[in-house]
Amino acid sequence: MTVQANMAGASPVARRFGAVLPLLKGVAALAAVLLAVELIVILFGIRPYVLPRPSAVIEAILRTPAAYRDAIIRTGLETLMGFGAGALFGIWIGIAFSRLRFLRETVFPIFIVSQTIPVIAFGALVVMWFGNTILAKAVIVFYLTFFPVTVNALLGMRAVDEKQVQLLRSFGASEREIMRKLRFPTALPHIFVALRIASALGLAGAVVGEWFGDTTGLGVLLLQGMYAENMVAIWASILCSAVLGVAFFSAIGLAEKRIVFWGGEST
Amino acid sequence: MTPAEEPILDLRKFSKTFGEVQALDGVELTVQPGEFVTVVGPSGCGKSTLFNIVAGLEEPDAGSVMRFEGQSVHAKQLLGKVSFMPQRDLLLAWRNVIDNAILPLEIEGANRAEARAEAQRMLPEFGLAGFADKYPHELSGGMRQRVALMRTFMFKRDLMLLDEPFGALDALTRTMMQRWLLEVWQKHKRTVLFITHDVDEAIFLGDKVLVMTARPGAIKLERKVDLPRPRSADLVTAPEFISLKRELLDAIEEESMKTFGPSSH
Repeated sequence: MTVQANMAGASPVARRFGAVLPLLKGVAALAAVLLAVELIVILFGIRPYVLPRPSAVIEAILRTPAAYRDAIIRTGLETLMGFGAGALFGIWIGIAFSRLRFLRETVFPIFIVSQTIPVIAFGALVVMWFGNTILAKAVIVFYLTFFPVTVNALLGMRAVDEKQVQLLRSFGASEREIMRKLRFPTALPHIFVALRIASALGLAGAVVGEWFGDTTGLGVLLLQGMYAENMVAIWASILCSAVLGVAFFSAIGLAEKRIVFWGGEST
Repeated sequence: MTPAEEPILDLRKFSKTFGEVQALDGVELTVQPGEFVTVVGPSGCGKSTLFNIVAGLEEPDAGSVMRFEGQSVHAKQLLGKVSFMPQRDLLLAWRNVIDNAILPLEIEGANRAEARAEAQRMLPEFGLAGFADKYPHELSGGMRQRVALMRTFMFKRDLMLLDEPFGALDALTRTMMQRWLLEVWQKHKRTVLFITHDVDEAIFLGDKVLVMTARPGAIKLERKVDLPRPRSADLVTAPEFISLKRELLDAIEEESMKTFGPSSH
């Protein structure tokens, strides 16, 4: 692969700043929303068990930071494992589908059917199979992420310019070389669109997965908050989930900017 | 170009049918080594089909005879044997100028560092000095086309197929590119088969101009261009040039009328 960042002209400082900019924007937007909610709650005198003040929520997090930190790490790890496996599998099977018509026509419909199973039902199954392990959650995340990646990888492979394929063939390229040098890079922008969708889906999958039974994680904290009717705890978990989600999404955006630097236009 | 020399490409009774449509019907064509042959014809006359076959991308109809370097060949066998440049530059967006140019060498399995070094040396000749690290989206249309040409030249094959390489360029850039192409061609001593629908371009560049008929395509007319080389820009106003141009235009006009004229069959 000769895919490389096209940032040779930028100074190191500018480059670093450019890299964290999307993250900063996300954090700033989140802060703005929190501030607005704080003002609304105070202004309209909304009672805490309806909607607590964000400052109270943050205070709650700071009171027991270890619990939230562990939850973020645990849920983050589940998401990362499932997402990584789902992304790799999705890309791999997408390539296979684009190459082998037989596989596409027999297995792809099964994939579609699999996606109609509600994640809750699937979650119950997975817990029966894998127990209350981190693996069970990762499998749920995997289940939610591989499909969009597969679909978009396949779409991207087929979006290739036939004239470019012919050109490479005229140079004597094999199907394998055409895949490596042309189809896969062409599909990358499409794949990244799917990865962004999958990152949000995957986090949701991890949180829901924890509801089937676990001792740590953001989903667990959410559930505990609900049983204790502790509005502040529920919102604290939501806030942590949001932070984790933004971090995932930004990381993918960052990778996308670096890898698909040409902006996704094929010519 | 002595007549005794074996033609590099020799097509006889060359036909191609796509379902109901006959694109080529009995094309007869020979190209001598080192020759610059230009092909003009009305649009849709099957020029590009002819090229796709010679590039190895499609097989001609049964009964067509194709000889390449003295050997009777199937189109398939020509994959990787001729350097083919399609109408659009088809540069890969994720490769910079150098890496786009060495693409065919990479596919051949050449050492990448050596290929890059060679491309680097060729840059000035193609007017791309200092643009090695630029990506296609950072280049003008004329430059992109030069990168595509350089890629074609780097794929060192005796026969080069150029399919309207300057078709999308503005008139001024186009004349510059034509003169430049002649210089590069004379230096590298390749055989060129060049499609265009610009008669001036066909005469200015070619040793020999072929006019194709309307679809189904065949060779209507073949004219030697006995104009001295190196050719300069003022050649286009020389009397020999004008009279040849008139003859070719008449032939093309006649063929175009068959396509657009009312029931002239």
